[in-house]
Amino acid sequence: MTEVVGRIRPASNVPTRLLLFGGIALLIFCIFPFVAGEFQTNLMAKLLLFGALGVSLDLVWGFTGILSFAHGVFFTLGGYVAAYYLKLNLSASANNYGGTLPDFMVWNGLTELPWFIAPLQFFPVAAIAMLLIPAGFAYVIGWFIFRSKVSGVYITIITLAISSALTTFFISQQAYTGGTNGITDVSKLSLLGIVIPPIGLYFIILFFTAALIAGGWWLTQSNFGLILRSIKENEKRISYLGYDVAGFKIFIWTLSAAIAGIAGGLFVPLNRFISPVYLAVAFGTQVVIWVAVGGRGTLFGPLIAAILLGQVQNSVDRITQDWQLIVGFILLLVVLFLPDGLMSLLPKPLRFTENNQVTGYLPPAPKKR
Amino acid sequence: MQTVSSTADLDAIDSMETVLAVRDLKVVFSGFQALKGVNLDVGDQEIVTIIGPNGAGKSTLLDAIVGKSPVASGQVIYHGQDITNKNSHEIARMGIGRKFQNPNVYNDLSVFENILLALKGNHTVFSSIRSKMTRLKKEKIELVLDQIGLLDKGYTKVASLSHGQKQWVEIGMVIAQDPTVVLLDEPTAGMTADETHLTGEIIKAIAQSHSVVVIEHDMEFVKQIAQRIVVLHQGEKLAEGSVGEIQSNPRVIEVYLGREQIDSAA
Repeated sequence: MTEVVGRIRPASNVPTRLLLFGGIALLIFCIFPFVAGEFQTNLMAKLLLFGALGVSLDLVWGFTGILSFAHGVFFTLGGYVAAYYLKLNLSASANNYGGTLPDFMVWNGLTELPWFIAPLQFFPVAAIAMLLIPAGFAYVIGWFIFRSKVSGVYITIITLAISSALTTFFISQQAYTGGTNGITDVSKLSLLGIVIPPIGLYFIILFFTAALIAGGWWLTQSNFGLILRSIKENEKRISYLGYDVAGFKIFIWTLSAAIAGIAGGLFVPLNRFISPVYLAVAFGTQVVIWVAVGGRGTLFGPLIAAILLGQVQNSVDRITQDWQLIVGFILLLVVLFLPDGLMSLLPKPLRFTENNQVTGYLPPAPKKR
Repeated sequence: MQTVSSTADLDAIDSMETVLAVRDLKVVFSGFQALKGVNLDVGDQEIVTIIGPNGAGKSTLLDAIVGKSPVASGQVIYHGQDITNKNSHEIARMGIGRKFQNPNVYNDLSVFENILLALKGNHTVFSSIRSKMTRLKKEKIELVLDQIGLLDKGYTKVASLSHGQKQWVEIGMVIAQDPTVVLLDEPTAGMTADETHLTGEIIKAIAQSHSVVVIEHDMEFVKQIAQRIVVLHQGEKLAEGSVGEIQSNPRVIEVYLGREQIDSAA
């Protein structure tokens, strides 16, 4: 026994294999816009953001076991913040009515900018609000849900209700939100007075997604990640070890909403509009599908699934309008035959789902004598 | 002669500092009184064994102490502080550890990870994000693994262990938690005679530095570890004393030991 203890492998937090594959993937994504056309570049940027949204849901669903249909909502809240910023920064000549007031507000009889929207015309305020509004909203919901010990399917039902309620609310507040059409014809994103070209936006989005994957890996590999996984398996047990389970859930829920909010905020300069479509349950369900198809608790899976399904949708779209039928069929296949998602097709050493922080420190499994 | 010496033991226990005290505890489940006013004192570094037939309220008593079952009336006092109906994580942080009746361990995680989760320390969100795997922690975990005889199984997923080994993993978690009071609910269920004996020795070792409350059915095992026995029956304390006193108590024989003797004779 002492012999086994003597052989301690040094801790390496990132396996070489992962660095290698991550590096190759990043390289491909860097070359991609120079090879593909502008349409594909924009599509890929959009799919990277959808992937990031999937990763944010994976943190709460795949790792912690909380199924949410409200991640489209957090995404869209960030999106509206960015849309207000870009709309309010249209040059007067570009605006349909020549004034500073957004067109939809003029149509709905507003004569001046509402005080709660006005601060969003300043970049630092908008940048912070893009993160804080979804996170703050999620924190309040999370505090009530998790402190009152609501669990399982009831949380999921609450998230469905939130999604439906906000959709209705945003449609009804036409003067402030643009109603069903949402906020359209926004200005292009410019930083320090320079208009960002599509390729620049692509690289900003690629940087965000890569940083998210790296940060998500670091977080889920930490002791914190181990605790999330034990909450998923049995949340009662860990409370008897002195962990405040509600506190952990509120934290990851809020963090995940902030990530979704940033993804939504980056989505608007690319998409050039935001509307209540992204608040609705249908979009929230799509996020759930990316995670389910990619593989829950795999971090990389949802990103891969969002890109693959997006490309499938794009190809099928040219032939038939019924792309949802195809996506539905793929989902059915995965649920029936690959319950752990596409990532489970990969050989185990390439899934990177083990908590390496711990296994890296352990002696290799003793050989059978 | 035996009774005299054990009475002396009991006197010694009485003079010890009471770490955990349960006062007139009542627990009600939708009209059913699971506990009807139970009193219990646990001294420093003492082993208290709770026995009683099924449905006597043994597990419920432990549930009420750790904040799992709501207490209807009465008090749980720990180091002079009222901890009745506190949140379970707060009670755990104060120093009460619990092993459940069926091994309540993380099957998807390795033995090492299970012990790591339980390891005493700061268990807040931010400290767990910053927390690093250190050599010191690893050595502490290996010490626990050695104590429960699973040092060579650290890398193994708990799911692939035997029932008895899972029981040890959970005992190991309680050891790693290093609480002041250790509550063990049937730690030897599903174990072979050898495993049971080894578990008894582990518990005795734990009691060198902790107060231990054990629920047990196996009378051989109870004799191996017991200092003081509490007999519960239908939510009430029937008797309390040394092994000899309990075995010769006519009421206990009637409701518990007597029936067991009949069972084993049959």
